[in-house]
Amino acid sequence: MKKLIRFTLNGHKVSAEVESHRMLLDILREEFELTGPKEGCGQGECGACTVLVDGYNVNSCIYPAFEVDGKEVMTVEGLLGEGNKLHPVQKSFVENGGVQCGFCTPGMIMSAVALLNNNKKPSEDEIKRAISGNLCRCTGYVQIIESIKKAGEMMP
Amino acid sequence: MSELRFVGSNTPRPDAPDKAAGRALYIHDLKRPGMLYGKIKYSEYAHARIKHIDTSKAEKLPGVRAVITGYNTPEIRIGFIRDNFALKRGKVRQFRDEVAAVAATDPEIAEEAVDLIKVEYEELPGVFTPEEALEEDAPLVHEEDPRGRPRKDNVVPVPWRFVSGNVEEAKKKAKYIAEGHFETPLIQQSCMGTAGCIAEFDLQNNLTIYTKTQIPFLAQNDFNRALAAMGLRGRNTRVIVPTLGGSFGTGLDTHAYEYIAILLAYKTGRPVKIVLTREEEFISLSPRQPTKTDIIQGCDENGKLLFREIKMLLDNGAYTSWGATTPSVMMLPISSMYRVPNVYYKTTIVYTNNTFCQAMRGYGNPQATWAIESNIDDLAEQAGIDPFEFRMINRNIPDDVTPMGLQISTCGHKECLESVAKKLNWKEKRGKQRKMARGVGMASLFHVGGSGRVYRSDGTGVIMKLDDFGNVSVIAGGVEMGQGFNAALAIVAAEALGVTPDKVTVVTGDTATCPWDVGTHASRGAFTAGNAAIMAAEKARQKIFELASEHFMRKVKKQLEKRKKKDPNFELPELDYERVFDTSEFDMKENFIFLKEEPDNPLLRVSLEDILRAAHFKQEGTMIVTEAFYDPCNEMIDPKTCRGNLSATYIFGTQGVEVEVDLETGKVKVLKFAAAHDVGRVLSQQTIKGQIYGGIVQGLGYALCEEYKTEKGRNLNPNFLDYKILSAPDINFPIEIECIETVDKEGPFGAKGVGEPGLVPTAPAVANAVYDAIGVRIRSLPITPEKILAALRKKAKG
Amino acid sequence: MRKFDYYQPESLKEAYKLMEKVKGEAVYVAGGTDVIVRIKQRAIQPEALISLRGIEELKEIRENGGMSLGAGILFREIEASDKIARQYQALYQAACVLANPQIRNVATLGGNLCNAAPSADSAPPLLVLEAEVELEGPGGKRRIKLEDLFTGPGQTAKEPEEIMTRINIPSQYAGTGTAFLKIGRVSQDIAIANASALVAIEGGVCRKCRLAVGAVAPVPLRLKSIEEKIEGQKIEEELLQEVEKMVCEAVSPITDVRSTAEYRRAVSGVLIKRAIRQAAARAQQ
Repeated sequence: MKKLIRFTLNGHKVSAEVESHRMLLDILREEFELTGPKEGCGQGECGACTVLVDGYNVNSCIYPAFEVDGKEVMTVEGLLGEGNKLHPVQKSFVENGGVQCGFCTPGMIMSAVALLNNNKKPSEDEIKRAISGNLCRCTGYVQIIESIKKAGEMMP
Repeated sequence: MSELRFVGSNTPRPDAPDKAAGRALYIHDLKRPGMLYGKIKYSEYAHARIKHIDTSKAEKLPGVRAVITGYNTPEIRIGFIRDNFALKRGKVRQFRDEVAAVAATDPEIAEEAVDLIKVEYEELPGVFTPEEALEEDAPLVHEEDPRGRPRKDNVVPVPWRFVSGNVEEAKKKAKYIAEGHFETPLIQQSCMGTAGCIAEFDLQNNLTIYTKTQIPFLAQNDFNRALAAMGLRGRNTRVIVPTLGGSFGTGLDTHAYEYIAILLAYKTGRPVKIVLTREEEFISLSPRQPTKTDIIQGCDENGKLLFREIKMLLDNGAYTSWGATTPSVMMLPISSMYRVPNVYYKTTIVYTNNTFCQAMRGYGNPQATWAIESNIDDLAEQAGIDPFEFRMINRNIPDDVTPMGLQISTCGHKECLESVAKKLNWKEKRGKQRKMARGVGMASLFHVGGSGRVYRSDGTGVIMKLDDFGNVSVIAGGVEMGQGFNAALAIVAAEALGVTPDKVTVVTGDTATCPWDVGTHASRGAFTAGNAAIMAAEKARQKIFELASEHFMRKVKKQLEKRKKKDPNFELPELDYERVFDTSEFDMKENFIFLKEEPDNPLLRVSLEDILRAAHFKQEGTMIVTEAFYDPCNEMIDPKTCRGNLSATYIFGTQGVEVEVDLETGKVKVLKFAAAHDVGRVLSQQTIKGQIYGGIVQGLGYALCEEYKTEKGRNLNPNFLDYKILSAPDINFPIEIECIETVDKEGPFGAKGVGEPGLVPTAPAVANAVYDAIGVRIRSLPITPEKILAALRKKAKG
Repeated sequence: MRKFDYYQPESLKEAYKLMEKVKGEAVYVAGGTDVIVRIKQRAIQPEALISLRGIEELKEIRENGGMSLGAGILFREIEASDKIARQYQALYQAACVLANPQIRNVATLGGNLCNAAPSADSAPPLLVLEAEVELEGPGGKRRIKLEDLFTGPGQTAKEPEEIMTRINIPSQYAGTGTAFLKIGRVSQDIAIANASALVAIEGGVCRKCRLAVGAVAPVPLRLKSIEEKIEGQKIEEELLQEVEKMVCEAVSPITDVRSTAEYRRAVSGVLIKRAIRQAAARAQQ
């Protein structure tokens, strides 16, 4: 079955007619041609598909597209400011070695944003908990945690 | 050396902003017009004859454009001894065998079509351990060798054997001896971005393939061979490498799925994309080589190592890939880690119906070091010598030649050992915390740091192209896979040329436009491309200074006149505007050319772009493009003697850890981690830290929790739910790292390779710490709580 | 992935009507973190999903001495609840370590219980709190004890057309403490074994004790015979050592891809012992 879903995507009101079995990740990548959220496992284990729905970080690969109707979705693309200005979290990841192969980065950044939007001075433990659902194979997490800590200091 | 401006700095990676913005395009993100989606049907048995494949229903499904099997496509043999096939015919030898494939207009149709393909099998008895496969009447995995000659057993004909001195004699002389049996499991590279490719033919039947590879040029060679097998001899392949979501050795091979995409693209006349799902990645992409090792080491009464004897049994799996060559790298630590005069090393490699293995970061070194460094602690205990002291007695030293013929030049082994001992408060802690079930342990590593000559060419080319704005394209044949190749190369190029890194664009990943490179492996990326860049930069500087000798003073004059116009009070200095310069009188730093004799004179400097434009926009103008091909001064190993100076330089390192073991649950808690690595020179702060931290965490996964579980060849945990890699909350201890700069004369600005060593000694360091904590030695990885509890109980029973 | 229809009823009545319409081929889904994953793994292939996410009454929280939680309560909400953190610490502890933030932001308490994995983290705390669940179907409402809900691995006494609507936690004695512990291979893991204890101390003696373990039997298990041994006693080390042995004998774990039966057996006793210690310490605060 199909349904016309209407939601806010990265600050813009959008709509799409989608089939009932499709997940939010597919819609974002195909209908809306966003390349930020990625499929790392398709089963909600790795967090590469993490986006914000109404401000909460969720795994879009197991989030039914129908459920996003009426909600606000934010992907890593939505963080960029005018003139391609990097969001403080993105900037911090770049400056503090938080990015290596980059595949986990969009999802990792969204989990960081979800945390920092509520708490700009998280402890290291709070940071680790916030990204506990985002697997990274390259960095060993150390410079990611550093990036998130420093980002909090840079956010207004 | 004059002060370095960018080498060793915290310059951010050039590729980081796009990745942080979600704009970097991985194979998953690429689309080609008219693209079809491919999907592979895998075997349902570990060992069976293929009796019949019925593709009729699949072919009729609307949206399906091609269904291929080993029976309706030309045979393409793959793997370095050519015992594997892109699509299987006759029989299947492992669960992951590719039996058929489909190309369809969308991925869901392709998936449905694969389900509609019915394969009839006749199951055959299989062999699932090397011991089983070696038995007298064991079923043969391959009845014939790649040349069609009948085989009599399951032994793979790549015997690795190393002998130096006389181990049997040395055994008689040794005062202390320690022996043990050690095992390592299958583990998966677990790149966050799975493997995939898009294959596409042009109207002349030349192939373009976008693929997740570390070896674009070797892949080009492999794919050209496949084209010949398809009746397209003489056609060419262009390999394009998209942004890579990690690689860790998975890209060192060409894989069946790539050949299948090529066959589908040819059959349909359309681009075909195949991307592995996470489950397919676990099941069908080759993991790290498992090992079974019997080791004996002995020393004299002063703790000096006299001999090392290692016999290894390797499960080759059903086909031969780089897993079977890991012994060639294992030979390095086996023959040369610590100074050991008498070494005997033999491996037996056996076909089974299990998955076959390929390269993974460290390429055999972690497996060998697991046995060696665990056993060194046992031997030290036998000799009554503290393990740190024992290592110091036997440590590798600079300017030494090892029994294998490895020519060590710079060697920071001593500094690495001392650094870790200090960071862990070794003297205060070792052997003193048993009551609290706490312990400290360490282990060292020895690896190639100046590439490793495994092919006849170990070269890397770099082209430097300057534009009218002083921008420099550094075009190289290596690949960026997250390790920081682009960052390191940009820094080296900028430093060597005399421009700022923001003027440098690193271009890689296209066999049609980039110069040849043997592959980004053996931690060689920054070392070889960096050296090639320095050579190309030197040529460019020479040309720039030749242009400068013509245009410099003219430009200076124009600049001064301009300034006079703006500021009438400015006094034009007395300069000889007709002066003829020798190129050696110039220097260039941070985009500006100046005279060596007056480096700080603000009036006597001209920007690079001004000189370049002046030279370009004139009659018989000129532009600057330079190139260099760097092939390190290393050697291939002589296959008979297994000797040769494999690398241009070697790297050393030590890692140590303090642990606390929960005696009731067997869980190992890491309290502190320390690492010291001889890196030659730090090129990029961010990337080197990332490589070391990342390696340590992968090493801890190998040590504590990663295991690819199988039952009669079937993968039981092909997902992240049950194949556990560490997440952020697992890193709940401080990690202190130190980079020891020995400034190697072969390396670019003294730098040595650092891609792999981060995980080589981690597992034995943990096992040695656990031993210190609870007096129990775990000899097989991973060191699980189950094994610890069982060992503690056994110990309690006495 | 095979296609399925997706319905979004706004009331329980609507949900039952839909279930009746699609009969046998539909499955209820809340957060989807179990159901969607199982569909993707091809373990189940329903024709339709009936989403409970839009049903407001499943989200209500009522306080009545104890606490009545709508089955649609998210784990994120349990984590954020001061009352649960103070009064039902074990449940709070379980919510904090269940999976990760992305999962906790959509997964529901009802979903975790109805999925009925022997390792379900929310089960041992609710068992020691002696929770009851309310089930509602086209035939009407009923209440059953949580311990009677689980009938086998992944199996419950709930009929397929019934919906779990509420989880009711009775009020507890003053001087009651609870605790929840879990062991996994790494910090982010399904439990290899988990355990919960409830201890009420009066006059230095254990007045009430409830114990539950998970992942070591076909269902999350109350350990009633062991509870009886503890009640009326002082909680001391000697007793705890005995309890540990008894737990090891009471459980029936299996060896699977995650761990061995021997290990689970050994560790279940340790977890109960430690949970009792923690709960007792809290009871005395």
